Amino acid sequence: MKRSAAARAALAVAVLLPLVVLAAAVGLSTGAGALSLRDALRGHEPDATVLFRLRMPRVLLAAEVGAALSVAGVALQALLRNPLADPFVFGLSGGAAIGTAIVTVASGSAVGVAATYGAAFFGLLPAQLAAMAGAMAAALLVFTLGRARGQLEPSRALLVGVVFNSFASALVLSVEAVLRPDQMQAVSLWLAGTLGYEALPLLAGAGVALLVPALVLIALAGRLNLLALGDEGAAALGVDVGRTRLLAFFAASAAVGIAVAFTGLVGFVGLIVPHAVRLVAGPDHRVVLPASALGGAAFLVLADALARVLFRGLGAEPPVGAVTAIVGAPLFVLLMRSRR
Amino acid sequence: MRLLEAEGLRYRHAADAPEAVAGASLAVAGGEVVGLIGPNAAGKSTLARLCCGLLTARRGSVSLRGTPLDGLSRRERARRVAFLPQHPPHDLSFTAREVALMGRAPHLGLWSLEGPDDLARATAALAEVDALDLADRPVSQLSGGERQRVFLARAFAQEASLLVLDEPTAALDLAHQVLLVSALRRRAREGGGALLVLHDLALAGAACDRLVLLDRGRVVAEGPPAVVLRPAVLSPVYGTEVEVVANPATGQPLVAPRIPR
Repeated sequence: MKRSAAARAALAVAVLLPLVVLAAAVGLSTGAGALSLRDALRGHEPDATVLFRLRMPRVLLAAEVGAALSVAGVALQALLRNPLADPFVFGLSGGAAIGTAIVTVASGSAVGVAATYGAAFFGLLPAQLAAMAGAMAAALLVFTLGRARGQLEPSRALLVGVVFNSFASALVLSVEAVLRPDQMQAVSLWLAGTLGYEALPLLAGAGVALLVPALVLIALAGRLNLLALGDEGAAALGVDVGRTRLLAFFAASAAVGIAVAFTGLVGFVGLIVPHAVRLVAGPDHRVVLPASALGGAAFLVLADALARVLFRGLGAEPPVGAVTAIVGAPLFVLLMRSRR
Repeated sequence: MRLLEAEGLRYRHAADAPEAVAGASLAVAGGEVVGLIGPNAAGKSTLARLCCGLLTARRGSVSLRGTPLDGLSRRERARRVAFLPQHPPHDLSFTAREVALMGRAPHLGLWSLEGPDDLARATAALAEVDALDLADRPVSQLSGGERQRVFLARAFAQEASLLVLDEPTAALDLAHQVLLVSALRRRAREGGGALLVLHDLALAGAACDRLVLLDRGRVVAEGPPAVVLRPAVLSPVYGTEVEVVANPATGQPLVAPRIPR
């Protein structure tokens, strides 16, 4: 591999960008009922509404969430030097689940009403706001408890995160015992990850908000490479290891928090997309990070399209978080077998 | 010019641990290869890390090219001193070339992207340690000695005026030990300097201009190999009888332990 990192990153983007466009085309043309693109573009109803109000926001949402979770997965795997790290490993899934469960229980009470107004201010549902707040609170908790001598200690933070996630799922199970069946279904569907239909301005805002952590992580990519040498090896090359970890941790947490607010816990994307990208592109984060963003976007758009096809006959909202694993796991095994 | 000047360094690994370095001073001038020798747990590796700013001394001061360590940014420090640990990581999926390129990190900008010049320097560094044929192989697939050479290339590619190498020859065969020493001597002729932590006293005598003998965190002897490598100096520190003979070809001191059998 004699090409420079910049050239390899550009190559990866050149290969993956068309894939994202292709996935978006598939996503836009998939759904209940036939859609005439020509009618939609001419503003004829109902085609225009279906395309611009339903399918396009959904594809955009899937792309944003897929990119955010994949980039966060790359960062946390590098941070922990652990290939099993996923975007939720630092307790973010637990925190989000607790937030959602509490708001579901509280619906109707004063707390529930307050949450509804608070969320409406951001254009979100109360459960979405609660999920994001819960995830961010968990990140702060893990950061606070996972420090030693003023620095984020990866192994310690990992332990705190895993213990907190167990604690949270026990808590959510207990809360579910007092929920009505319909509330319970809503919570468990959310825990499995679902894509909804958000307003385009909100999605545009989320896209801009996600760009910040993504750019921070891509700027850190060279330093994430050096972390593979160990703390001392990285420090000897001029890396501020503590600050790099801190920035990567909070950038990844912010990306995951935004994703979680929209879609709940979409698993597997953030674990498997980075590995798939590394199998093809090698370990260099300057290539892996942008490639994972695009690969994750394409993957989740396609997984959602497939989920909608599969669940169309059942009249149910597809749990896209389950479909990612059902489709992704065999694909990943195939890729792994073909490369080794 | 003094590339490194360390004065009265004291360090302990934990508040209740004994002092690993107990008031040690040492200096490396441009053009000089200095060997740091001593028995196990004498504090050699700790002292080497203090000199690179990877550990912070409780007392004492370290200057690199005349600037105190705390007046240097991390990146500036990494442009003045390159450090090779005793056990480089072995589970890297990066290729040898990518690892050598990592040595360019302190010279790169915000997005950490190397240019053709960096690639050329990394390639030259690989060639210097006879590792060019390993360039495209993942480090995880290399033997211990090959990996050692790749990490030496990384240290060379860093282009710091001072190299601090912890046991750089431990995994190397004879030919590559000679190759490494010649590379260090060549760099010294060009004004660079090196501080080597060494266990092999024969190599220390042959490769270094000056030796610093460390015992329980203190410098107990210092000077040219012929002065430090004497039975009267070494035997009490190492706690075993040693013989020193002159290499018949070069006259350099050869240390041999007296092993009863």
